[in-house]
Amino acid sequence: MKALIVAEYTRDALEGIKAAKTLATGNTILLVFGPASTEAENVSGLVDKVYTLPSRNPEAVYNALRKVYEDEKPDLILGVVSKNVKDSLSRLAGAYDLPMSTEVLEASIEDRSVKYKRGILSERAYSIEKAPMPAIILFNPRIFEPEEARPGGEVVKLEEGDTKVKQIGISKKQLSGVKLEEAEIVVGVGRGFKKKEDLKLAFELAELLGGQVGGSRPIAADFKWLPEDAWIGISGKRISPKLYIAIGISGAPQHMSAVMGSKVIVAVNKDKNAPIFKQADYGVVADLYQFLPILIKKIRERKG
Amino acid sequence: MGDIVVLLKAALNPEMVRSKPDGTLDQDAIPLKLSDIDRNAVEEAAKLKQKLGGKVIGIMVLTVGPVAKREKDLKMAVQEALAKGVDEAIVVADDKLTPGDQVQTARIIAEVIRNSGINPSIILASEATIDETTGQIPGRVAAKLGLPYISFARSIEVADGKIIAERDLEEELEKVEAELPVVVSVTQEINQPRPPTLIQIRRAARKPQKRLGADDVKQAIGTKRVILERRIVTINRKQQIIEGSNLEEIADKLIEILEKEGVIKL
Repeated sequence: MKALIVAEYTRDALEGIKAAKTLATGNTILLVFGPASTEAENVSGLVDKVYTLPSRNPEAVYNALRKVYEDEKPDLILGVVSKNVKDSLSRLAGAYDLPMSTEVLEASIEDRSVKYKRGILSERAYSIEKAPMPAIILFNPRIFEPEEARPGGEVVKLEEGDTKVKQIGISKKQLSGVKLEEAEIVVGVGRGFKKKEDLKLAFELAELLGGQVGGSRPIAADFKWLPEDAWIGISGKRISPKLYIAIGISGAPQHMSAVMGSKVIVAVNKDKNAPIFKQADYGVVADLYQFLPILIKKIRERKG
Repeated sequence: MGDIVVLLKAALNPEMVRSKPDGTLDQDAIPLKLSDIDRNAVEEAAKLKQKLGGKVIGIMVLTVGPVAKREKDLKMAVQEALAKGVDEAIVVADDKLTPGDQVQTARIIAEVIRNSGINPSIILASEATIDETTGQIPGRVAAKLGLPYISFARSIEVADGKIIAERDLEEELEKVEAELPVVVSVTQEINQPRPPTLIQIRRAARKPQKRLGADDVKQAIGTKRVILERRIVTINRKQQIIEGSNLEEIADKLIEILEKEGVIKL
């Protein structure tokens, strides 16, 4: 049995290798493209062979993948979800009619099939499914601990080739650089805040508690009061902190399913009928503009 | 300008999840609706048509049955797409094709496009549907038709047989260019779908609809995925409202509770 791991980022490659070893596959082949291709040598000792492609154009990756797929005939193609990985593998799936699943939470091998679990319906349900191999399985990030990098293996450079879609520009997004998904305490802000300057209340609270600030869709994606990487939601970040404090957030499903992994959820909202109170452990029915200054004062007093 | 094709899905509505007493998903009781981001794809198609002409053709493949039970929802979803800018709908629905999977759906779509005299300049789809959310159909279709594919587009401009699009990646915005025809998946940020006017809604009922069944897409039949079990996620939150005679008292109680829970240390 042979696994092909596809990754754009080294961390994802190391998680993918761990996934392959956990699933107890035999041979492991790695294809790294874009940023991860420059670090191929460092991880090559963990697998039987590494293919590298400097381009991160998903069309170039797809062309390379087809060749590697034909040469290696893998039973399982593994990776961690990222946009370019999803793009290029969905094309490979189409070209060979391979079953493909994404945002997978766990998987196991049974005979000539792979069985896996994933969230569906905005994470309100999960589905356990089975597909015959060869199959493509993309895990959610951070399901597997990354392997320790180890150099010393075989590295094969792939030809770039020509593509029909060409990059004509690239720009960095305005990001905060905050890793909400790694924070133990997250303060979430929603439309209860009337203007951008008022968010300083949330930042003050977060700082006192050693936490980070994230926002619902209107705050982060529509009004852009927070950078895009501070957007908590199905299309933004999914978080699972020890404590999530939702302030002025009504509790839309797209938001709540992204915070479901939180250990304790506290909601502050002035509308006692806000749906969030049914999805929180503790609720405070109050105007955030009155309650937050008091809460901040009390915490500060206790900290001394 | 050739045809503008939009891929549509009547998807299980995540806001109306239903389960049986044992916690398994009661999928037959969950209604279908036009998948959210499909509205953005339709809006973008309508905008392209306004600028460049051509005809907007919507293709919808039913993946959850039974068909008889889904007819009403299916009709509503198609009507909505027709009212919002689709000129002609092709619906593939047959109990022999449900439950579907992505392998079969992509094969059906490719076969319909090849065999229905459609000459696509652009095939638009949403980056993902609201029920399964795997986001793989547009890539599969592109590979099957041998067309270039631009995923996660949050803006597109089409002129002189060319498309320039901005791809929304994790940390960058990437501008790309390609010749038509092309497959494009769009994100919700691409536009603000307009609600249809009364006239549009009335006209929708008269727009042509073609219904296809398993016999029309024989070459495409065959699924690989088997669903073993679907269960709802149960969240048991305490739902305790903290009461007090004033906000000071409530704040004190909250802090004490959170310390007892071990989630804050002051």
